[in-house]
Order: sequence, then C-alpha cells, then structure tokens
Amino acid sequence: MATVTLKHVQKIYPNAEDGSKPKKRKRGKAEEEPQHRTYNLKVTDEGVVAVDDFNLEIKDKEFVVLVGPSGCGKSTTLRMIAGLEDITRGELYIGDRLVNEVAPKDRDIAMVFQNYALYPHMTVRQNLEFPLKLAKTPKEEMDRRVNEAAEILGITPYLDRKPRALSGGQRQRVAIGRAIVREPQVLLMDEPLSNLDAKLRNQMRAEIIKLRQKINTTFIYVTHDQTEAMTLGDRIVIMKDGEVQQVGTPQEVFNDPINIFVAGFIGMPQMNMFDGKLVKTDETHYAVRIGDALIAPSADKQANLLARNTPEMDVTVGVRPEHITLDHVDGAMIKGVIDVSEMMGSSVHLHISIDGKDCIIIVPTLDLEDGSHGIGTDLEFTFAPNAIHLFDPETGMNLEHV
Amino acid sequence: METIKKNRISPQKRLVNFLVHLLLATLSVIWVLPIVWIVLTSFRAEKGAYTSTFLPQGYTLDNYIKLFTDRTVLNFPKMFANTLIISIICCVLSTFFVLSVAYALSRMRFGFRKTFMNIAMILGLFPGFMSMIAQYFILKAMGLTEGSAVRIGLIIVYSACSGLGFQIAKGFFDTIPKSIDEAAVIDGCTQWQVFTKITMPLSKPIVIYTVMTSFIAPWVDFIFAKVLCRANADQFTVAIGLWNMLQKEYVYQWYTCFAAGAVIISIPIAILFIYMQRYYVEGMSGAVKG
Repeated sequence: MATVTLKHVQKIYPNAEDGSKPKKRKRGKAEEEPQHRTYNLKVTDEGVVAVDDFNLEIKDKEFVVLVGPSGCGKSTTLRMIAGLEDITRGELYIGDRLVNEVAPKDRDIAMVFQNYALYPHMTVRQNLEFPLKLAKTPKEEMDRRVNEAAEILGITPYLDRKPRALSGGQRQRVAIGRAIVREPQVLLMDEPLSNLDAKLRNQMRAEIIKLRQKINTTFIYVTHDQTEAMTLGDRIVIMKDGEVQQVGTPQEVFNDPINIFVAGFIGMPQMNMFDGKLVKTDETHYAVRIGDALIAPSADKQANLLARNTPEMDVTVGVRPEHITLDHVDGAMIKGVIDVSEMMGSSVHLHISIDGKDCIIIVPTLDLEDGSHGIGTDLEFTFAPNAIHLFDPETGMNLEHV
Repeated sequence: METIKKNRISPQKRLVNFLVHLLLATLSVIWVLPIVWIVLTSFRAEKGAYTSTFLPQGYTLDNYIKLFTDRTVLNFPKMFANTLIISIICCVLSTFFVLSVAYALSRMRFGFRKTFMNIAMILGLFPGFMSMIAQYFILKAMGLTEGSAVRIGLIIVYSACSGLGFQIAKGFFDTIPKSIDEAAVIDGCTQWQVFTKITMPLSKPIVIYTVMTSFIAPWVDFIFAKVLCRANADQFTVAIGLWNMLQKEYVYQWYTCFAAGAVIISIPIAILFIYMQRYYVEGMSGAVKG
C-alpha cells in the first residue's frame, strides 16, 4: 500500500566506552556489544557505524528481504524503518512522507518480532484487539478485523486462550495476526521464523507466501537464512558489515553475484572457490587456467570481459556445486579425489579434495553408476561454461561488474 | 506392597529424616512460641507484667475493650487512626516512587544512569537513622514538627527516600523482554501506556511486594516517629503508644493491653497479605519464546 524509500540512511552507535554516553541498542541479545568488534564494522569518531549509506526504493506491495550474517545491520535497518531506532543520517520516506521524526505508531507500520512479543496477560483476542483499541477503532470494525485476521491465520479456535497455552507456531501466528489487524501500509518482520523448529519453519514460510497473496501490503522481511530470502523475496538485499552488497531478484543474486561474499552467502551448499588465472587465448577470447585445465567461459561472459577490457590476471573462480559436470571436455578436466560422499536422495553431494583444497559437487543420483564414486576414487570434472563466476581476488568483485 | 515400600527407606535415611524433622519441629516451636504467648497474654484476666504461669489463669476480652475505650492516659484509637492514615498515604506514594524509579532505570537509557545506581547502592549501605537529626532540623525549618503537621513530616520522611529501594523492582522489570515494550510502542502505546497497560499487569508479584513493604515500613516504624512526635501525644503512632504502655508508670495497668495492641496492629498487615496474595500469579510465561 505504500512505497518505502531509504536515502543514504546511516546509523551510528555512539561509543559507550566511558559509560556516560547513552547506549540505546538493546535487543535482548546479550552478545550484542562484542558483535561490533567481531564483525568489521567501521568505527569513526562518532561511534560504531552499524548501517552505512543504505539506499533502497521499495515499491508498493513489494516483498523485500534483508539478509546477511548476524551483526550486518539488517535488523537495525528494519528497526529504523519501524522507528525503534533513531536514524543518524539520511532520509526515510514511507509513501511520500518523510518519517525520520515520526513516532512509530504514526508511521502506519506493523512489526512481527522474532520472539513473538505477545502480551502474556491478555488472551489471543485481546492481543489482536490491543492495537485497534489504542487507535480507538469502533467495536464492530474491530470485531470484523480480528475475526478476519484469525480466519486468515487459522487461530479462530484459540481466541480465548492465553499465549502461554499456545505452541510456538500458534504464538507466531498470533504475532502476525496482531500485525495484520491494523491493515498497515508496511509490514515489517524481524526473523519471524527463526524461533521455530525446522518443520514448522518450512510450513510457516509457505503460509507467509499465502498470507502475502491475501493481504496486499508492502513487506520488509529480515532473515539470516538465505533459503527464506530466496523463497520469499521479490527482491533481496544482501548486507554485510553495515553495507549493502547487492540488491536484486533471487534469480539475479543467484546467477550474477556481485562479489565473493554474495556468491558464498547465497546458495546451498556454498559456491566452490578455486584459485586460477585468467588468460587470453587470442585477441578476443579468454580462458581460465586452474592447475592444468584450461576452461573457456561461455560466449556472453567472454563478451562481458572483453567489453571491460579485462587484462590477464589472477582470479578467484566461483562455481556452484550444481554447475560442476563430470562430462568429459578435452583439456578442461580438473582432477580430484573423493573425500566424502553424502547421499541426499535425488542427488549425491561429493566432497572432492584437489591438492588439499575442498570442493563440493552435486551429482544427480541417476547419473551415478553403482560403486563408481566410492570414497578415495579419483574423479575428473569440469564447469558448465555459462556458470563460471570470475572474481578479483584483491577486491572480491565480480569481474563482469567492475 | 507396603512392606516393600517400607523397606525401600534405609535405616540411615530414616534416622536423618527423623533428625531433620526434629530440628524443624524445634525451630517452629521457637518461632511460634512468642506469638502464641502474646496472643494468650492479650486475653489474660490478671494484670501486671509478671506472672508465674505460661497459660493465663483466666480469660477475658477486657484488654481489647480497655484498649479502645480507656482514653484517660493513652488514646489508642487515635494512634491507630494516625498510623493507618500515614501508612496508607505512604504506601501509595512509596509504591509510585519505587515503581517509577525502577521502571525508568530498567527501561530508559540516559546519562548518569549507571552512576546514579551506584550512588543509590552506596547510600543504601547506611542506616536511615544516621540522618535522623538532620531530618528533624530540616523538617523543623519547614515548620513540620509542631501540631498535626507532624503527620505530613512523617509522610515525607517515610516516602521521600523510598525511591532508593528500586533494586528489586528493577531486577523484575529487567526480566520483561524489551521486545514486548517495543511491540506495544509500535501498536500505538505511549511510554506511559506501556508502563500502565503492559508492564504493570505483568509485574503483579513485584507490585504487591512493593505495596506490602511500603505499607509495613511506616506502620511499624518507631524511631522516626519518636523523633518527630517527641511529646506530642496527639500525633503518636501505634509504635510509640505501645512503647509507652511499657513505661514503669503504666506497665502494671496496661501490660495486657499492650499485648492486645500488638495483636491488633498485626491485623492490617495480615489483611493486606491475604488480599494481595491472590494476585501472585504466573508472570511471564507465554510472552516470548523461552
């Protein structure tokens, strides 16, 4: 129902070393403070930069997922949008309205918290009614919305229970219900599924997708789980150390990662990285040398490199496990030894050791001849030419994007 | 079945159990004895402080009747009313102070917060009556040491510093997840509404604890009342009144009444406790994952 625009948004936590300055950040996680140090957040004279120069235009009714490792600033960004954290610098618009100084309740947003944050002394119905009562909604309207939300989420039978009598999944539904009864312009979700067990998480993920079809609103969703990000998001924002790495559709970030970090973060199992050398086979053609193998990228990748006039250089070659093939191509085969073989059902994950370095290959089970891929067997493989990603080992950037 | 059950407890275990229960029984007798004795004394028919028997020779209600009707030397009903008024007002004020200070220190972040908590802790190490004389002179300068102004003086003394006792309530508030407050803020609460609609209902046990201690402290205080009231018999609280009954000029006539008074003053506390303990319900479960 509304666009959300962030322009050069920055969040700096003042240094609290002397103990006298305020330290606002407290999210219930005790390990918060050391995180600033563990992760390489920038530190300036003003303090720790938790989010730096965040620019994003979220379209009306879009589902945007902020994803990144813990301490990357994704939750902080969400909390700035919610109004729970002050914005140090930059501008935040919801619709056309600048909301930097607007109180959370006047931003027309709702939020679902990781730990549900239900009011334990109220029944489910009272929990759902609470925001509406505060907004002085008429009784009939309130009943209508509460019943509707309960219906959508399948919590109608529990309306008179207290949260303590509900299971984790039901509690999270109530938390989502409390957010949607307000019919907010923007629905914020802060890792809503990470407290659920694996099975329930998958189920709730599907329900969020369904929910999205039922209620038309803008979603901003924070998670550290790339599977959730890929399956839920129209667009994904990948963050690291307070900086946005890449913004794009799940397909874009998967097929065309902008740097080594994104390449490694998105995709399960992780992308394999090889040290190699980019060489020119003639004036217009490139190839990658890894060990003895010489592998030519696909024609459009070659064209991209040529257009950027990329010189011969050392490169980090990234290939996803599913893009490694055992088909024989003359002169392009890399040799390795199988270390571990994991049977996953429809496919087998082979852990290969190549001169001490590990890589993972996914081979469809049907392609395997019985017993031919036992532990300790030698194996030759090569890459699908259109799935080779070349990164500058110095900067980590994708050479096709420099 | 029964023989098996009996055999399961080994002789050593039985001996230990026996000794433990013996110890507990002895302790409970030691604790209960003074209470039984004062209740018995309050119904004793014969006068005087010293008797040769533990159990009274005759029982009567006269001590209670005398306590409330004989106003010739000591006006007990007046003292009782004085103390009740002071205690109730102090109870309301102190509870408000303690809970607000605790909430502010638990939930808000401001400069000087840590320092303040440390100072409060250190101040708490000193007994309150160290500043007794100073307080008297301050109140005297304010004109609160004469006539019925003494009551206001006492209320100020009892409730003014109560905020320093925030530690326990703050510890409780700290256990309420911050995200509940944040959810409430996003749902449209002001900070005050978060306090009244979310934090207070969730903190019933600690609110009750605070109410009880805030009531009992002025109700049983002797030392500040004595300092402020001095010889103002009109303004006496029950503690001073009961003490006076033990002075040598009154003790023979009033000793059993003293016992009756001691029983009477425990009644409001008991009522408060019985009424409040209903609210000791489960606090936080169900709010968050845990």
